Amino acid sequence: MTENAYLQAIANAVIDGEAEDAAEATKAALEANVDPLEILNKGLMDGAEEVGKRFERNEYFLPELMLAGRALKGAMEVVKPVLLEKYSGGESKVKGKVVSATVQTDIHDIGKNIVSSMLTAAGFEVTDLGVDVPIKSIIDKAEEIDAKIIALSALLTTSMPFMKDLIKLLEARGIREKYIVLVGGASVTADWAKAIGSDGTARNAADAVKLAREKIGA
Amino acid sequence: MLNYLDILDRAHNGPYISEENWDLEKIAMTTKRLVKKYKIEWNKEELVTDDDALSKAIFDAGYELAVEVGAYSRTTERIIEISQDEIDDGIRNMPQTLVMGEGKDARTLYARHLDDERAPLFFGGSPGTPVPERIFLANVISYMQEPLIDLATCGTLVEVDGREVRTGNPIEIVSTRRELQYMRQGLKRVGRAGMGMLAAQSSVSELGDLAAAHPDYLRKCDSHLVPVLNELKMDHRNISRAVNSLEYGMINASLPCVIVGGLGGGPAGSAVVNVASYLIANLTCLADYHILHPIHVRHIATSTREVLWVINATAQAFARHAPTIIVSDIYPKSGAGTKELLYETAANAIVNAVSGGHLEGCGSADGNLPNCSGLEARLMAEVALASHRMKMSRKEANAFVLQLLPKYEHVFAAENGNPGKPFDEVYDLQKIEPLDFWQKMYEEVKTELKEMGLKL
Repeated sequence: MTENAYLQAIANAVIDGEAEDAAEATKAALEANVDPLEILNKGLMDGAEEVGKRFERNEYFLPELMLAGRALKGAMEVVKPVLLEKYSGGESKVKGKVVSATVQTDIHDIGKNIVSSMLTAAGFEVTDLGVDVPIKSIIDKAEEIDAKIIALSALLTTSMPFMKDLIKLLEARGIREKYIVLVGGASVTADWAKAIGSDGTARNAADAVKLAREKIGA
Repeated sequence: MLNYLDILDRAHNGPYISEENWDLEKIAMTTKRLVKKYKIEWNKEELVTDDDALSKAIFDAGYELAVEVGAYSRTTERIIEISQDEIDDGIRNMPQTLVMGEGKDARTLYARHLDDERAPLFFGGSPGTPVPERIFLANVISYMQEPLIDLATCGTLVEVDGREVRTGNPIEIVSTRRELQYMRQGLKRVGRAGMGMLAAQSSVSELGDLAAAHPDYLRKCDSHLVPVLNELKMDHRNISRAVNSLEYGMINASLPCVIVGGLGGGPAGSAVVNVASYLIANLTCLADYHILHPIHVRHIATSTREVLWVINATAQAFARHAPTIIVSDIYPKSGAGTKELLYETAANAIVNAVSGGHLEGCGSADGNLPNCSGLEARLMAEVALASHRMKMSRKEANAFVLQLLPKYEHVFAAENGNPGKPFDEVYDLQKIEPLDFWQKMYEEVKTELKEMGLKL
């Protein structure tokens, strides 16, 4: 089996959302001495990128995104220790840590789930805190894991003020500059995102990934 | 009949499952399997179907999904198990008629059958749309004064006395009561004080809803929303809304907003999930009637091909196999002051009229901006009534819709949608009448619709 065949098998498992196959294919590649960085960048991330493209083309829906996320997670657990051992501080495609959440009082999660999945697929390490998350908990988690991006979601107009509150709390704690704060949701406009002092918003998940990449300089 | 306290018990004692596993293993996987088993396919050129076998397959698949998975309590992370007998009881007990409002303004909603001789009813208002307080009253009057509108609904107050409303904050109580005061005031102003309402739309958490259960606000003859969360989920906040109606007697409208392109997959799976949502909502929401409001995963609007198909499929599945009262939300992409809003409204109205739904609208501009007015609700009712009077077949309805789509589908590709103008830029707020340019657009679109063969 060639190196490309190993990498293709990993990418295919991610594309098919097969968690066990992705982990097995990753193990097989490592046993065949395929470079773990290649496994990450050309196997897992290329597979994830293809999933994102299929979602954009309406060929894949939310379940396929979530299954691909699971497959990625499983395979990452296999490859990560080897990767760290060989390339501590190496040149992987992992772009940065993100804390994502739907803000307190809002229980809508589909948009946030899609963005989290797409960011994961794009190589970000995403900690998704779920829905109805108090702003204090979001900040605490970002501090704990040393995140670079805080991604906030709210569908409800009357929950949107909590995004503003989070930014104000970051300012009050003197840590606003540490984070890129991105906001999103059906009612969030670019003007509003600017007015509350966030670092930007996007119209859809694909644009959110572009924005995150741009802001982080990846 | 299942006692409601049993639902609470089951939410506490049912089998544990993580939310992610519920979403993927229970909803996504089961739906995918059932779509395959029942060979359900959608066709983007046949948005109004007339296929009893397809309709039966969609109903049976949704029924099997509801029986197999039940519902999920997001609060306790447990499955609320529901037996087949209980689902069947729920179907048997679905109200076939329901009086809303009082006195001369009362209307009787009914479970529409396919090709029903009785005309659909119309709720006028922009449900859930954020509306500033300064234009709220004039906005709701613009719908209430329309003679074809039978029942009233409204947007959400996002500020009171200049203060921003925050969900779950005590100000939500103030905003919900204020909304109801404006609604009652509006109904009196147009001489239809007894008109029934679907209101307390400013109650996003349960706080406002609980505070509005009083004869001065929501009467017993009015209804409020009890949402089903995506997908087939409840939480204690929303269960509280249903529980609060038990002794007071308000009418419960279940609101599952199935995401088309979400956990159910494409339109076929989403229709199956929508059917299942109603079957569990009969029990978990104590639903007296159901709101039909699928949401497009990207475009939101109910006027997209995918959502039009799901509306047609879900409404027909019930109209043919288990008639229940279904009120369909019309949420066009475009906003007031645009012709596209009127084409989108017409397409939605036709699909609903021939598929077994009553209508509610319009949540213009995706229900995101106060760019909505009574004029598009007038067209919604006129088009639906014309379709009904003409005894339009579903094949004819499909042909009409396919003619309308090219007139508005470009808005889905527009970077910022097609939001149009706010209410106060399309209506004279003193006279509460459409401004000339908006009236003229409406007349022009009506002429086009007549030329297409619609007997308006």
